[in-house]
Amino acid sequence: MSTPSLSRRQFMGVAGGLAGAMALASLNFDAPAQINKPKISADDFKQDQREVDVLVIGGGMAGLFAAVKAHDAGARVLMVSKGRVGSSGLTPFAKGIFSYDRKKASMSIDDFVAKVSESAIQTNNPVFTRQLAEHSYDRVQELKSWGFFDSPIYHESFMRPINERRISVDERIMITHLLKEDGRVVGASGFMLDEKRIIHYLAKSVILCTGSGGFKPNGFPVCDLTHDGTIMAYKVGAKVTGKEWNDGHPGSAKNSGSSYDNWHGQVEEKPSTTEVTINHHLGVDLNYQAYTQGAPVMMGPPGDDQDRGSAVENAGPFVPEAFRHSAPPPPPQQGGLRGLFAGKGHSGPPGMGGEQVGGSSAGMAIHKSEGLVPINEQGLSTLPGLYAAGDALGSYMSGGIYTQIGSSLAGSAVQGAIAGEAAAKESLKLTGGVTVSNEQIERVSTEMLAPLKRERGYSPAWVTQVLQGVMIPNFVLYIKKERMMLGALAYVEELREHHVPMLLADDLHALRLAHETENMVITAEMKLKASLMRKESRCSHYRLDCPDIDYENWQAWINIWQDEKGQMQLEKQPFDMWPKFATA
Amino acid sequence: MPIQQISGCIGCEACVKSCPTDVIRMNRGTNKAEIRYPEDCQICHLCRLNCPVGAIKITPEKSIPVMVSWR
Repeated sequence: MSTPSLSRRQFMGVAGGLAGAMALASLNFDAPAQINKPKISADDFKQDQREVDVLVIGGGMAGLFAAVKAHDAGARVLMVSKGRVGSSGLTPFAKGIFSYDRKKASMSIDDFVAKVSESAIQTNNPVFTRQLAEHSYDRVQELKSWGFFDSPIYHESFMRPINERRISVDERIMITHLLKEDGRVVGASGFMLDEKRIIHYLAKSVILCTGSGGFKPNGFPVCDLTHDGTIMAYKVGAKVTGKEWNDGHPGSAKNSGSSYDNWHGQVEEKPSTTEVTINHHLGVDLNYQAYTQGAPVMMGPPGDDQDRGSAVENAGPFVPEAFRHSAPPPPPQQGGLRGLFAGKGHSGPPGMGGEQVGGSSAGMAIHKSEGLVPINEQGLSTLPGLYAAGDALGSYMSGGIYTQIGSSLAGSAVQGAIAGEAAAKESLKLTGGVTVSNEQIERVSTEMLAPLKRERGYSPAWVTQVLQGVMIPNFVLYIKKERMMLGALAYVEELREHHVPMLLADDLHALRLAHETENMVITAEMKLKASLMRKESRCSHYRLDCPDIDYENWQAWINIWQDEKGQMQLEKQPFDMWPKFATA
Repeated sequence: MPIQQISGCIGCEACVKSCPTDVIRMNRGTNKAEIRYPEDCQICHLCRLNCPVGAIKITPEKSIPVMVSWR
């Protein structure tokens, strides 16, 4: 933990104090400091150790394919999930999956990649965009054979290939640490949510399929995702990217806290496939409209592009010419998302119809734009032994804006499969077992249980509320200005330096919340620092004080890592280059 | 209150396992599911959809005012 720089914070506090105070005043919470009264003791946790070839962390779409393909390539695989397979993270709520069918597609793969790059203003990595198109059809066919399209609930179809292959699955385990020896990631450690037991998984390769995350925002079913994978990888030296981008999903003004109502019951629908329809949407157009014109913000029915109102044409987030007044997409043959809702009396996903409020997915970037920095198209991270896939991988498959409906779910399937096979092949080449020092096991266990042992401190719920109050306002997270971001950063640094080390837990549920809260606070710091660094506006990153695209200086992504002194570092990564293994 | 009531539980634990945010736990005394951490409910309805006997009732209101980007 770095030494607090009080003088700087005090200075920043003057700049940011008013906004933060106003934001916090809207929240009602009890006095923050409290005495811990643990319901369980941290002193008698049992410890297990398990060894496999490939450890897959996460039980969503990416994790499913990573586990299946790693097994099929000959590796001993274990999948570990914070929740239930197919019932946690964002996967259970994604109902459209993109399938590029070469026989029927309206454009060639070359044209598809070029069109995505045009919409994404070159922020996409064309290698991953092409990979999506080339592999999506095959993954969709496999899903079909497992019964994926036959039910709105995914657990059963996900478990079919897992059970057929007898792949080990550990559910309801919160992984908090990656294990690293001699520069290589060799496993992960976590605790069970249902009994006092720590499990150390030793593995020749680890694949993070941990999804993205948010600030436990209201109205989007992302409250169990808190960037856990990204932050545990960051802490052992991996580079991460994409933190300046924003997912712009609005929420409904009525019952803003209800994910189900915001999505108009979409979770009850069976999934369906989507075809080529390239857009430039769900950036921060609505946020700009609300900022400049005030609330309420209304949106039209599906296919109506009123959200690209006059404000956006003349100022605000830049939309490439070809995507400004696109006609409604042609009705997909098998439904597709818009077809799905148009035909059944639904008004569609969030933002389609009715009065809107902002920030329903606050803390989350565009799918596939944030996560671990890949050094190759297999999703290998900057640390040997560590892969990532799906929303845990900063692949920039779509870039900093949404370009193709259904590509998020398809991309997770495609990337999971590729990473699984690559990790298995690499593992099989490694002879000998994996070892981890006792010192590391002891340190990890101590850090994991620390919130249970603290006598005084702060509740995760309160720190999360403060973080939400500082970060979620439209004028901080979405309509960015240097002065406000510096103010917010002072608050977030205070939380990270002084409050995170004092987070309390009185049971296993709260222990999970304590670790999730730390991950959100570090993510907030990354988002602010990356947004401050990127002195331009492009796609879903919008700065009121730098509103134009800077083609001269910003044909680059931003990589973030922790140096040997524990300091957060940021660097530019040119769009056309692959990074190398990290040296930190 | 988001998830409001579990009535007629048969103890199958499907809701406990399917809740992404760990709101529901088994009461080992009664062998029925109970709402343990309602403040963390994201009102996603997965528990209700996974319940084989329709025992779960959910309302769309959160118990505390929520933070949004504008209102």
